[in-house]
Amino acid sequence: MIQLFLENFFISLAAVFANKTRSMLTALGIIIGIVSVTMMGTLISGLDKTFESSMSWLGKDILYVSRYEWFGDMEWWEVRNRPRIRPEFVDKIRERSKYALAVAPVMQRGASLSLGEKETRTEIFGTNEDYMETITTNIIQGRFFSKNEDRSGARVTVIGDGIKEAFFGENDPINQYIKIDNIKFRVIGVLEKQGKFLGLFSVDKQAILPIGAYNRIFSKRGWMRLSIKIPENKIEEGLDEISSIMRHIRGLKPDQKNDFAINQTKAFEKNYNTLKLAIGGTGTFITLLSLIVGGIGVMNIMFVSVKERTREIGVRKAIGATKGMILGQFLMEAVSICLIAGLIGLSISYILSVLLNEIFPSTLDLGLALFSILMSIIVGVISGVIPSYQAANLDPIDSLRYE
Amino acid sequence: MALIALKSIYKIYNVGGEEVRALDGIDLNIKENEYLAIMGPSGSGKSTLMNMIGCLDTPSSGIYQFEGEMVQEMDDDQLASIRNRKIGFVFQTFNLLPKSTAQHNVEIPLVYGNIRKVERIKMAAKALEDVGLADRMHHKPNELSGGQRQRVAIARALVNRPSIILADEPTGNLDSKSGHEIMGILDRLYQDGNTIILVTHEDDIAQHARRIIRLFDGKIIEDSEIKEK
Repeated sequence: MIQLFLENFFISLAAVFANKTRSMLTALGIIIGIVSVTMMGTLISGLDKTFESSMSWLGKDILYVSRYEWFGDMEWWEVRNRPRIRPEFVDKIRERSKYALAVAPVMQRGASLSLGEKETRTEIFGTNEDYMETITTNIIQGRFFSKNEDRSGARVTVIGDGIKEAFFGENDPINQYIKIDNIKFRVIGVLEKQGKFLGLFSVDKQAILPIGAYNRIFSKRGWMRLSIKIPENKIEEGLDEISSIMRHIRGLKPDQKNDFAINQTKAFEKNYNTLKLAIGGTGTFITLLSLIVGGIGVMNIMFVSVKERTREIGVRKAIGATKGMILGQFLMEAVSICLIAGLIGLSISYILSVLLNEIFPSTLDLGLALFSILMSIIVGVISGVIPSYQAANLDPIDSLRYE
Repeated sequence: MALIALKSIYKIYNVGGEEVRALDGIDLNIKENEYLAIMGPSGSGKSTLMNMIGCLDTPSSGIYQFEGEMVQEMDDDQLASIRNRKIGFVFQTFNLLPKSTAQHNVEIPLVYGNIRKVERIKMAAKALEDVGLADRMHHKPNELSGGQRQRVAIARALVNRPSIILADEPTGNLDSKSGHEIMGILDRLYQDGNTIILVTHEDDIAQHARRIIRLFDGKIIEDSEIKEK
């Protein structure tokens, strides 16, 4: 049987290469299909990785107290009418909570940073000395500000790696002065490089200031959120406790709804999974469609091939080929076209994924590569089976007479 | 025992509601190592008869025994196996695969017979040598003359050492010199002990055979032996 298999393999290769243009055009459909399947898979797994690493910055053990829910469906005016989160909550929570390990208020706004001629617009954050506990990033140079610096309204700042690169390059930024909206701040620390959050915006271009100075200079208006660190094994208890402390602070009666929200990274995950399902579902549908179209092209060309080689089929039958052998020959031809196309498609996807990796994490993994090869074989078999069956059942006498 | 025994063979086609009797009650026995020519005008059923003998076609009714086995009861795969092992076809239009070399064309029956590559190459080379084409093995059909192509076809028919060679107008597409050569090869194969069945409408070709049957309207109207050569 192996003899015949090899023979059929060579016949099919010969047939494919005998009609290069035709085979190439036919293969194009499959190539496009395989490229879209593999790119789809690559992008989704890239999305997964981005998401995971972005989530790791947020930390699973942090509760974020703010006026709005991250993925809530509340009307904006309803959120707007909720009372603010106030700086004094920080101390109240610290006093009453037994789970809170760190409580940091966070305010945020856009500002322009400058050093001499260099200027950039970025986000600035006002917070307190607990902030470093609530993020996963580390200080790589200098230090974070102290409680006293916060209380005294000291004009000091901790900058992201991106700002350091842009303003100071290789020079030491510590104790240098930069201007934030034209007010001088002394750089006391640099945060380690992070990359982009969900591939969207860079957190390396931030500047962190003590909330005392932030409030004095940039007004107390604007939204505040609280980041509260809870022991990892006490998340549920912590959530309940913070919720009841917040209700108490707000003076809510038992029948009143919360007028604040406590967010967790879980909310991101839930939303992300819905999003992934939507992207993946649509993507799978579209890529399958393109593979089906490609498969129809192969089927079409196989019918032509059978027609053209009717006489050859007759001769082969006359000298002893059984139906199964003829079936195998044409099936092999269809599979060969698809397999070659699949391999070409895979190479294209590989190159694309390497190029794309520069801007978005995408790596073509082995499982996906094997899957796409399997897919191209399956498409070959499905699109080849009817033409091959037709070839196998041709009448030998009629085919010998076929002109 | 006869190698081939046909008993009241009918082949009836229905063409546009009209019954056409391509074979109309054929009784024929062919023994091993016969040299038989089937003659008749076109439409007399000689090609149908040859296809029947070559197990490409099955009768509408009647009994066909090949080496004692009932052909009309065989399925497609069994018929294919007989064609592969016992019968070699030689066609008027050669019917070689145009993109394969002479060597590979001759190997094809061996591929279907599931014979190993090393063995195949040896057997194909031997068969091509037998028809005098040892030096043309790696040529493709379009690089060969008509006579050479027909010789490749004979080598292909011969390579599996079939007991029977069925030649349908083997010289029909050849000039007389090449035709003469081809008949010489067939004569020699007969002398080597093979069974040769020729279909022709040319008398001088038929004269190479030792037995001639004439067909007319699907019936055998003459069956004669040629005693002396």
